[in-house]
Amino acid sequence: MSAARWAAVALLAAVFLIALAANLFAPAPYAKQFRQDLNHPPTQQYPLGTDELGRDRLSRLLYGMRISLLLAPAAALLSTLLAAIVGGAGAYIGGVWDRLTNVVINLFLSLPWLFLLLTVRALLPLDVPALTSVVITFALLGTLGWAASARIVAATVRDLRNSEFVLQARASGCPSLRLLLRHVLPNVKPILIAQFWISVPLFILTEANLGMLGLGVTEPLPSWGNLLRELENYGALAHRPWLWAPLISLVLVMSLFQFILSGEEYAS
Amino acid sequence: MSAMKTRDVEMEPETEIHRKTDCRAPSPGEAAGPESPTSAVPLLSLSLSADYSNKPGVLRNLNLEMQPGEILGLVGESGSGKSTLALSILRLLDLKGGKMSGSILLKGRELTTLPESEMRSIRGRDIGLILQSPMSSLNPALKIGTQMYETWRAHQPGSRKQCTPRFLEILHSLNLDADEKFLNRKPAQLSVGQAQRVLIAMAVLHRPSLLLADECTSSLDLITQKEVLNIFRQLSRDMGTGILFISHDLLAVSALCHRIAILRSGELVEVGLTREILNRPSQPYTQQLVNALPVPESSQQ
Repeated sequence: MSAARWAAVALLAAVFLIALAANLFAPAPYAKQFRQDLNHPPTQQYPLGTDELGRDRLSRLLYGMRISLLLAPAAALLSTLLAAIVGGAGAYIGGVWDRLTNVVINLFLSLPWLFLLLTVRALLPLDVPALTSVVITFALLGTLGWAASARIVAATVRDLRNSEFVLQARASGCPSLRLLLRHVLPNVKPILIAQFWISVPLFILTEANLGMLGLGVTEPLPSWGNLLRELENYGALAHRPWLWAPLISLVLVMSLFQFILSGEEYAS
Repeated sequence: MSAMKTRDVEMEPETEIHRKTDCRAPSPGEAAGPESPTSAVPLLSLSLSADYSNKPGVLRNLNLEMQPGEILGLVGESGSGKSTLALSILRLLDLKGGKMSGSILLKGRELTTLPESEMRSIRGRDIGLILQSPMSSLNPALKIGTQMYETWRAHQPGSRKQCTPRFLEILHSLNLDADEKFLNRKPAQLSVGQAQRVLIAMAVLHRPSLLLADECTSSLDLITQKEVLNIFRQLSRDMGTGILFISHDLLAVSALCHRIAILRSGELVEVGLTREILNRPSQPYTQQLVNALPVPESSQQ
């Protein structure tokens, strides 16, 4: 890995650590309202100012990043597991199961993913406690976002199933389940890890999309998505540039992910 | 091997002429010679056909017998059905989209009617398989020790630590480094010859009575090939393992095998003792094969 990519990894790790330890770095709790300082410009006390309810913007950004950066990996883990189970098991068993899972994967891939998310999220209750909205948002991302990864996993497992070393293991009397766990899975692991890391930025971005449309994490919990909603107020952006902070931080994190992952892709 | 001539081949294993095209292994009453093992119950008795959906008649009513400890060479051109036969014996042909019918008797036990669970317990324990390409037949993600342990665990209990002495013993007998460091290597860290010997070690881990060696010397250089052939000879002699040595290399087959079976387009053309096949081939295809054997310049003069 080049020095530039190491630097990107270090920067991303730092962002993750700061977000995870938001309670240490944030000047105030994310929901605390300073009613005497509504829409306050940046000062030493409020480095990014306050919002219309008097809440410290920097604190909300750090807590929002924490929610997104914690739950996007959780959703990515769920979707990668589903991809491994659906794509991997179907391809490993072969025959009708392989064809059936292929149809399901193609069906999921043929649906516009964001539209599907919006539809399913809109069908679920919107007036829910903030914490429930977090669980619903990322569970949705995880359960609906597995298809692209499943296709890659299925193709890999199909190749492995027909490989010489799997034939050799079968010829040595290895039971089917053990063959899957001890011979096939170690060879699929790098693919699963790659799919996981590719899904993380995708889910962060998707949550931001949902949040902007009011279908993501609900107030008072902050998330990148609902913090971006303030950008709807175009008129205010010109004379209050600190409102760009959530977008700039999101672009920065996405760029770091893209830089690191694309570098890995070229290297492999 | 370099001194070998086309028409007057000095061979070790057999002495007496055996009836050609007779697929039976020499019976106890027949004079088969000291190195050609005989037994009342054949180790393997085959009568089978095999088809692929896009290629019917890959094996057509193939009848063949092998005695315990016998090394039988199966020779034929590419696509003649040699590997299909190996997979059919293990009942793994369906993995390649093929279908087999007929009878496979291993020490008198019919394999074609066994449930899959019983067949699985026979694979590796009673019948070992060595495939053509050593580098692709070893799992690239697993260490050698882990692969040997997985082969062991397929049929025997025991922790990795308990099994290690047995692994080292086999590696040593195959002239490989018998130490933990070797067991911790990945296949990519081995030479082709070492990888082939590791495959042999895994195939003989449970001391199977039958070993199917499918083109397993074709990717090896001459020196390594000779070493592998010596290992097979030793296995047959010391462990009484019957070896079905599948190859298109008649030279290697003639150096190793007690008998040779010639396969062409799914049918056995000729079966007989090695010397007889090489010196007096009765079928035109066998004659073609024998005549194609390389003859050193000095011998021609």
